[in-house]
Amino acid sequence: MIDLDELDYYETLEISRDASLEDIEKAYELLRDAYSTDSLALHSVFSEGDASVMRDRIEEAYRVLSDFELRRDYDATRRKAQGSVSSSTEELGVEGDNQMPPIGSPQPLDHEIDQPDDGRWDGSFLRRARIQAGMELEEIAEVTKVGIRSLRLIEDDAYEELPATVYVRGFVTAYVRTLGIDSDGVVASYVQRVEESRSDQGRGRFLGRR
Amino acid sequence: MRRFQPGVASESQPGPVSGRTPRLIAIGGGKGGVGKTFVATNVAVSLARMGHRVVAMDADLDGANLHTCLGVSNPEVSLGDFVAGRLSEPEKLLIQTRESNLLLIAGTHSNLNQPQPDKARRVELLRGLRRLDADYVLIDLGAGSQPHALDYFLVADEGLLVMRPEPTSVENAYSFLRAAFYRRLRLAARGHGVHQLVDEATDQRNERGIRTPHDLMREIEALSPVEGRRLMQTMRAFRPRVIVNEARTASDIKLGFAVASVCDKFFGFKADYLGYVNYQNEARESVAARQPLCDYKADSDAAVYLERIAEKLAAVPLDRRAAR
Repeated sequence: MIDLDELDYYETLEISRDASLEDIEKAYELLRDAYSTDSLALHSVFSEGDASVMRDRIEEAYRVLSDFELRRDYDATRRKAQGSVSSSTEELGVEGDNQMPPIGSPQPLDHEIDQPDDGRWDGSFLRRARIQAGMELEEIAEVTKVGIRSLRLIEDDAYEELPATVYVRGFVTAYVRTLGIDSDGVVASYVQRVEESRSDQGRGRFLGRR
Repeated sequence: MRRFQPGVASESQPGPVSGRTPRLIAIGGGKGGVGKTFVATNVAVSLARMGHRVVAMDADLDGANLHTCLGVSNPEVSLGDFVAGRLSEPEKLLIQTRESNLLLIAGTHSNLNQPQPDKARRVELLRGLRRLDADYVLIDLGAGSQPHALDYFLVADEGLLVMRPEPTSVENAYSFLRAAFYRRLRLAARGHGVHQLVDEATDQRNERGIRTPHDLMREIEALSPVEGRRLMQTMRAFRPRVIVNEARTASDIKLGFAVASVCDKFFGFKADYLGYVNYQNEARESVAARQPLCDYKADSDAAVYLERIAEKLAAVPLDRRAAR
């Protein structure tokens, strides 16, 4: 079987980048049937375990791509991931006259922020850090190009509603860099929370696979 | 409607001179009784009635009956004559059917236990087919995944896979595709190490755990990145097209999409869903009546779907043909 981790959401649903919502709905319905437990097409090739992983992937891809905001954020993160390779600042949404520090070069803190005692960051500590940095959620959204809804989900610790871990990592990284916090430990501990929560829900297999 | 004479290049449309070679369409599917011959018959007739010059060849020498479906009861010459060396020109094997634009190369009808032509003869035959003065040559492969069936399938411009919505047919279709993929790869691969890998992979219980073409491509790339990339490029041309025959339910109809997705996600190559033919008693009856369905019951849904499949095949743009 091919490595599902290498597929982005568009490849998972077998649609093009500019697929319309209608295309997405159609692809989703066909694939949901294709990988259902009683699907004839799986006979002699897909084990039930693999099919179930595939179903999770399809659901996840559909959930994000069928939601206007989540899809926009997802596209932005992907562009960012590609943009950082070609070091294109335009792709990052950082304009020359922008007052905010460019993502990727965290500024030293000129203000005190509260940190969790155990070093394990969650949404409420992030929110506190943002308020202490004197920033509104809207400003973060504008700089990072991550949708305000996703940012809110991050601050609310709504792990189940956030997209796959790899995107959460991207969102949180952009978020904390905008605040000027040294990102590594913060992002890692937040992502760890997300993963723990998800494996508690019995979804660990598909997040931490391979 | 243009007519063309058996074995004689028509003067107005000299095929090879104009640089046009017929498009080869192979119809296989692994399992017997799924309707390969039925589909081949009706697609051939539909293409002929659209004005194309068509040759239908029966490569199923063990269970030849394409001639019967086309209403030719006792073919005087057949592929068997070519195998036996009695006739060496494919042109001499052509038989006129009732359809003016449709010629037949029959399978054998008398020689029991007829072996397939050996590899060298097969290459010769295929070269001969490419020289025929026709627009399309349809090859009915018969059941199984033997080397000759795979070779016709791989050499053709279009490889059609007929399946029925049942587990046995799906399973055999996958085995057929897997075998065809490995065979194509074996032919294209260079270097001892890569050949060895392909040979190992052909054994489904190989120790390396190579279960799918995708696994194999990955192993090849690890062994030799350059060769891996080259083969990846070559294998893009491997793009079978699926037909679901005897579809009764909505989920039967969707089977083609699901199979195409499984090819993509499990095997790692693309496949297209060409269309389906619904289950209809008239379809079975037409075979019993030794008539194409479009004659037996022209207004049946199945006849319409078959015609649609022929139209889709004919709609492939010319540049794609030239690229092959």
